[in-house]
Amino acid sequence: MRFSANGYYVERYVKCDCCGVLIYDEGIAVTHPTAGALLFCSPWCREWQTQKLAGVESPRIDTPYA
Amino acid sequence: MDYVTMNILDNTMLSICREMGIVLMKTSYSTIFNEALDFTCGIASPRGEMLSAAEFCPAQIGGLPLLIRSCLLEIPLSEIAPGDVLIHNDPYRGGLHTPEHTLFCPVFVGGELVAFTVAIGHVAEVGGMVPGGFAAEATEIFHEGIRVPPVKIKRRGEDVVEVWKLWLANVRTPRYNYGDMRAMISGVELGAQRLAAVVEKYGREVFTQTCSDLMDYAEKRMRAELAAFPDGVYHFVDYMDNDGVSDSEIRIEAHCHVQGNRLIVDYTGSSPQVRGPINATLGVAWSAAYNAVLHLTDPSIPKNSGCFRPIKIIAPRGTIVNVDYPAPEVGGNTEAHPRIAGAVIGALAQAAPQRAMAGEGGTHLNFVFGGHDPKHDEYFACYDIEVVGWGARAQADGNDATDSINGNCRVMPVEVFETRYPWLTEEYSLRADSGGAGRRRGGLGTKKIYRCLDAEITASQLTDRHQHQAYGLAGGLPGAAGMTWYQAHGRDAWQTMVEAFDKRSTSKWSNVTFKPGDRVQILTPGGGGYGAPAERDPALLEADVRDGFVSAEAARRDYGKTV
Repeated sequence: MRFSANGYYVERYVKCDCCGVLIYDEGIAVTHPTAGALLFCSPWCREWQTQKLAGVESPRIDTPYA
Repeated sequence: MDYVTMNILDNTMLSICREMGIVLMKTSYSTIFNEALDFTCGIASPRGEMLSAAEFCPAQIGGLPLLIRSCLLEIPLSEIAPGDVLIHNDPYRGGLHTPEHTLFCPVFVGGELVAFTVAIGHVAEVGGMVPGGFAAEATEIFHEGIRVPPVKIKRRGEDVVEVWKLWLANVRTPRYNYGDMRAMISGVELGAQRLAAVVEKYGREVFTQTCSDLMDYAEKRMRAELAAFPDGVYHFVDYMDNDGVSDSEIRIEAHCHVQGNRLIVDYTGSSPQVRGPINATLGVAWSAAYNAVLHLTDPSIPKNSGCFRPIKIIAPRGTIVNVDYPAPEVGGNTEAHPRIAGAVIGALAQAAPQRAMAGEGGTHLNFVFGGHDPKHDEYFACYDIEVVGWGARAQADGNDATDSINGNCRVMPVEVFETRYPWLTEEYSLRADSGGAGRRRGGLGTKKIYRCLDAEITASQLTDRHQHQAYGLAGGLPGAAGMTWYQAHGRDAWQTMVEAFDKRSTSKWSNVTFKPGDRVQILTPGGGGYGAPAERDPALLEADVRDGFVSAEAARRDYGKTV
């Protein structure tokens, strides 16, 4: 989430490029060779999206969801 | 894990949540609270985990975790003091839709924050372009009423007067809104008193540890339920008719990945967000998935954040299931939610056919209106919910005339409706042949005819399933579509809103003026059937015909039987 300098209003609603949840911290930025710049809320989302972009239908990821 | 204390605390917290709800019901001003019970009360941990929730409105139970998350990320715990009450309705920050206001009251024991009591309620009037909060032709959030980010409405026991004045200046019915907000505050403050007494009795450490154990227990129970589903990826698609401002159907797609004792619900493939007001917020997307899973699993699992831990939801941003600012969203919570939950149920029905129900009516009808009351010289507004037929299951017919899957709300009694508002209810009946045929029949929708009395009324409606019917399962037929008709005073013909007022959609229209003598007829959709109609027990079909639920003609057409 990007707030104005004084915190009075939202300048941009920042969301995870996998699950769509709002990201209040810096998130996990990734540059994907085909999808470009991506931002994730968690290692799980980064891994899921990476595997989906690689064509895995149902990735099995052991890390916690968030 | 001390199961005895855990069980006692679980039920005690549930009782507190129920008592909060009863206070809210009994002290509120609007019929949406005191008749329809469109609210939920819960308890959350200081970390934002839901510890308990009363069984009022399922849409709001599933929405609690995201609402609390945004609130606590924007108002640090260090700034929260005894006597504070926080308010929040922003749909883009965890909220469900603009009318849904959430109040949080911190619970302090020995100077330490131990929990929050929470009330979420559907406030009937929130300003915006139509009275009653459902602007069916809205194309941006600013048409839908006032948005409140997480702020304090009480600080250390005192009203934050500026917030009250700002909020009440932006609604049509400030006296009612004031009363309803006081009712919600009373609910959370009473809950805070009750919970503080419980924590003092058991001690903070025991309370905190037991809550942690309780969530672990709920997680374990939910994982055991999910493990019973065969592993696989299950897929289902359902559609909404249109968004009220264009004619395109809207796709809701669910991919359910069952992986051992966990579940990933991925909505990828759903339509991009639309111009009209039926986009779902992320809170709705989460809530709908939880709602569907709770329908398919053991109802005795405690409803807390632990039971949601094994479920991951992927709701791509900028789609119908995760709207981006500033697109409108008010119908997402009432119309998209049931369709999303229905898609998840439809997908998981392939894994657990004995647990699933066929598609349900999937709309709250959302008939809203307002006007000037000359007797009291003030504005009135009403949000009226109607009921639908639910889907049939493997072992039973669908429920008749029941609020859609995410509401669990009551229909306002005719007597109350006529006392409070200038309408006469001329007919209210179950709708024959609306339940989808099947070995188990879909539940029936209803038929209602209102006549406008002695006031001009500005009415709107945001509903769905006028075109896309509730789906059948295992060979069952779909339920009947709904429809809304208008009859001008002194005329015989019934017209759709498209025919009578040149509206774009029969199901989504705004700011139509009803004059004395005008009538509106609302036909609500029925539920889908389960199993082949030819397999229905002839005795049950005969009883249906005798009761008027199925006509002799439909018995011949759909069941191939002469009764």
